[in-house]
Amino acid sequence: MNRLLLLLLALAAAPGTVLADAPAGMMLIPTGDYVPLLRSKDDPASVPVPAFYLDVRPVTNAEFLAFVETNPKWQRSRVSPLFADPGYLGNWAGDLELGPQAPPNSPVVRVSWFAARAYAKWRGKRLPTTAEWERAASVGFTTVHGNTEPAYRAAVLTWFSEPTPSPLPAAGAGRPNLFGVCDLAGLVWEWVDDFNTALVTGESRGDAGLDRNLFCGAGSVGARDTTDYPAFMRAGYRSSLRASYVVPNLGFRCAESP
Amino acid sequence: MKTKIIPLLAWLLATTAAWADTAGAVPPCCANCTAEAAPAAFSSRSLYQLEGKWTDDSGRTVTLASLRGRPVVLAMFFSNCTYACPLIVHDMRDARDALPPAVRAQTRFVLVSFDTERDTPAALRAYRERMQLDPDAWILLRGSPADVQELAMVLGVKYKKDADGQFAHSNLITVLNREGEIAFQRSGLQDGIAETVHAVTLAAR
Repeated sequence: MNRLLLLLLALAAAPGTVLADAPAGMMLIPTGDYVPLLRSKDDPASVPVPAFYLDVRPVTNAEFLAFVETNPKWQRSRVSPLFADPGYLGNWAGDLELGPQAPPNSPVVRVSWFAARAYAKWRGKRLPTTAEWERAASVGFTTVHGNTEPAYRAAVLTWFSEPTPSPLPAAGAGRPNLFGVCDLAGLVWEWVDDFNTALVTGESRGDAGLDRNLFCGAGSVGARDTTDYPAFMRAGYRSSLRASYVVPNLGFRCAESP
Repeated sequence: MKTKIIPLLAWLLATTAAWADTAGAVPPCCANCTAEAAPAAFSSRSLYQLEGKWTDDSGRTVTLASLRGRPVVLAMFFSNCTYACPLIVHDMRDARDALPPAVRAQTRFVLVSFDTERDTPAALRAYRERMQLDPDAWILLRGSPADVQELAMVLGVKYKKDADGQFAHSNLITVLNREGEIAFQRSGLQDGIAETVHAVTLAAR
């Protein structure tokens, strides 16, 4: 209900206000800082993030259906295996049919990074960067520090502890955070444009340059905030991905620069 | 370079003829391709579907698809790298030296830079000279951040620019077959030269 009110307010806001400037379905994330969870020795403690717009909720099946209808090469049976692994849109009933496992208003999942990026481009948008996404997700429901806000933290940890429901619930039904953005935690994981900058897998010890040992036990000592469990989860999750992966609980949302 | 284009054209024509012989075998992914965009359809796993435009160290614009028809050994690097990249180039050179002469003659060794700011054609040219990379065999490329990112994503290369302009990156050598499909990847900085040589030799058949 709160969300509806916020949306109505956003739509009704008078010209000249910040909300009125945001494209439909997006919220302005004001200029701020992103404090990376893990960083190399010479990296700055925080990175400035210029103001940007972020979708209020993840992209839905219905929205993605419209994309594949006008872009046939992204349909399930036609997509190049270079750009999406087998199982792409695997919960859909067919190339152009959602079916019972993919309700129209639920977030689209089982999409590769390539597909997510193509969708965003088609919409005239882009994928958010890691810095932007983390900046948007850093606030709680009512305070600017989600990680120290008990209710917010509890909501995130509850989500981690529960299996992914099938089919997924509707996107945008979650409680909005302080920026008015929903479902940054609690529904699905989300692609970011530069997910491949998370060099914190077993691989980073074997074959990546500077960040070796970053994620093995002792590595966490160098982390910004060792209590920020959700941030560790996200960093670990991103580092495990490849751009062609399709995952049953991985979707995306779009961003736009003002 | 001009003299190299002629055999390639001849090869492309031959391939087009081969496609004509097997009419109906065009992969469905390319049903929508226009004739001028793809004279002969790329396989669905071919990296040559990527449409990125690259610039080599002499300032010429090239596409990866221009390598079609040859085995390719490719790595991403940056010329200011003092640790891993020289080792990668060294290993690629070792692999080249170990190839049978006929295979070596047709194989191209491609280095693509992460450093879209500093690795200008001139910087790549200086790198070629410093590393003594034979112009007939080695191709050094720079591209836009979006094209570099897309190639890295397709190869599975992770990279991150740090505060002092250096890049943390996966150490990966990729062998592409004649069609631009990934035939083999050597991950890490140890071993795998013999496997790389083997993969290139197979790709050349």
